[in-house]
Amino acid sequence: MSNENAFLALADFLIPAHGKMPKFSDVCGYADVEKSLDFRIDLKPGFARGIAVDPATGAEARLESLNKEDGEAFSAITTIAIATYYMSPRVRELIGYPGQENVPYDSKATQIYLTNGSLGQVVARGRKYRPTPGL
Amino acid sequence: MTVEVLAERGARARRDEEVDVVIVGAGPSGSVAALHLARAGISVVVLEQGEWPDYADYTGARPEHELVSTKLWHPNPNVRDNPNDYPVDTSTTDINPLMFAGVGGSATLYGAQWMHFLPSDFRVRSMDGVAEDWPFTYEDLLPYQLEIEREVGVSGLAGDPAYPPRGAYPFPALPMGSVGQRGALGMEKMGWHWWPGSNAIPSEKFGELNPCVRRGTCLTGCPEGAKSTTDRSHWPLALKAGARLVTRARVKEIETNEQGLATGVIYVDANGRDRRQRAKVVILCANGVGTPRLLLMSGGPRTPDGLANSSGMVGKRLMMHPFASVLASYQDPLDSWRGPFGQQVYSLEFYETDESRGFVRGSKWNCMPSGGPVGVSGATGSKVYVAESGRFQDFWGANLHENVARRFGHSLIWGIVGEDLPEESNQVVLSKDLVDSDGLPAPQIVYKVNENSNRLLKFNIDRCLESVRAAGAIETLVSTPVRESGWHLIGTTVMGDDPKRSVVDQWGACHDVPNLYVMDASTFPTSGATNPTATIMAVALRNTRRMIAERRNQKVA
Repeated sequence: MSNENAFLALADFLIPAHGKMPKFSDVCGYADVEKSLDFRIDLKPGFARGIAVDPATGAEARLESLNKEDGEAFSAITTIAIATYYMSPRVRELIGYPGQENVPYDSKATQIYLTNGSLGQVVARGRKYRPTPGL
Repeated sequence: MTVEVLAERGARARRDEEVDVVIVGAGPSGSVAALHLARAGISVVVLEQGEWPDYADYTGARPEHELVSTKLWHPNPNVRDNPNDYPVDTSTTDINPLMFAGVGGSATLYGAQWMHFLPSDFRVRSMDGVAEDWPFTYEDLLPYQLEIEREVGVSGLAGDPAYPPRGAYPFPALPMGSVGQRGALGMEKMGWHWWPGSNAIPSEKFGELNPCVRRGTCLTGCPEGAKSTTDRSHWPLALKAGARLVTRARVKEIETNEQGLATGVIYVDANGRDRRQRAKVVILCANGVGTPRLLLMSGGPRTPDGLANSSGMVGKRLMMHPFASVLASYQDPLDSWRGPFGQQVYSLEFYETDESRGFVRGSKWNCMPSGGPVGVSGATGSKVYVAESGRFQDFWGANLHENVARRFGHSLIWGIVGEDLPEESNQVVLSKDLVDSDGLPAPQIVYKVNENSNRLLKFNIDRCLESVRAAGAIETLVSTPVRESGWHLIGTTVMGDDPKRSVVDQWGACHDVPNLYVMDASTFPTSGATNPTATIMAVALRNTRRMIAERRNQKVA
């Protein structure tokens, strides 16, 4: 089994199709995976061990084995899978995530808590601190 | 002239040049001291083991943010694995200390929550019969707090009844957002205190700082240059005033003469060579782990237990604020990836002692957005998120999609900061086998969360669950105590009047070495329960002003 197929089998087990959400390999190719690994070269050794596990075993059994016996490899496989998936523009569109966006605002706008009375109730409940004069 | 050009111009002192003051560390306290000393005409060199931040390295605006930041901008130096940091032996601690080496210090990765300590924090012995009172009061420190706020560019709303009356903040509070509004709703349903968040993030352009655009990545470096860190708030001014800054300079020893006075420091430069910086006065601003580490490393034949350690208190009484988090998901959309991250709302409802609760002192809560889909999934790719008895399948497959659908964009996090009482058994020592990239001994943390903290956190978590459920939470997740939460490193060179029980006096001067000062949170007798950066910078300013005023009386070698 190629590296590509070995990883995609694991990734599709971790992130299958569910409801409106596509499975991993429907939205991410191995080139995307390699790009993610280039951002996290520290994960490459664990990733390599993770995809080298006996391909004759099913994906769930392989992940179970990694989770018990090689936490670093399990972490590398799962980190790359989930991060690559949620970087996909299609996936972001489906979950309504524009990324960590820039949201301009008017710093002088009156905040709602000043007009709906909610903050006024906090003030009305009175002093919370303990004064310390003379101590 | 740019900051970088100024920084590079003649930073290192000439061979054998003696400066008035050498400061170790260019974080919040060291930056304050450098600026004000330089403005007073005092020659000052600052040695910083890290580098200037490159804002292009902050990934907050890029798709790979969640992938990259969990390594490159992780607050734990052992995870970040950057040679500019030193590693920390965490084999004997319940909580990992978090820090960052660079111009701006650990605030590079802070949430910028800006809180003063409360009056009772300075009088815990008198009021609650525990620990020690501070040598000065809330009122003594307040003028310095307000001056620092103007230097930092804090945004917030005055009038909080949890504090004595104070003046206005320099800038209006940042927008609260849906997350903050939902957090406030729960508190209001319970009739409890809440207040719009105060943050070291200006809501309008201020000097080198840009206005916040709610990117929400404060904890991993602000790509907008909006979060206030001293590389932008203080260093441009300090360099223009004549302060000199040497980066990639790791101090390994404080030198003293036969009279026991400090004469300067030895540091390892960027090329791995040992260099000497002579100075009339040495100021340590290396945080609650780095400062005692350096004092312990500086013990020579005259002081085998470490410099300035005749009391035996160097490294002891470490406080790190045991921390719990409550994630609450709601049916309604909250746009919960949007910032500001640090605190959209805070609460001091349970700050003061109420003995009927079964513990002393209290807590501060801050309401934060829950972030991107990877973070809220609970899976996050690491084995540590799979409970020992749990199955990894609980976080993957259809469960992953359902967890993300329920939490992403629909959740908030209340962070609960508990006051940490000082105990001598909680301490920083030198590791016997772990070393940094220059071969210097790494610090080892010996720390146990005490019973008072365990009770405090349990009480506060229970109350927090009541609040979020009152606001309609459909799911809650609790983490306590959070292991990766040692942001606040406090107490390891305690200040006091008695040289047998304390390391420094109320002005930060070491009892044993009168021209050696500590100006970071190491000196705090107690920890309060608020984020300490505001108090760290205010105490540094108070100490620096005193040093300037008394300069002619300063004993030097």
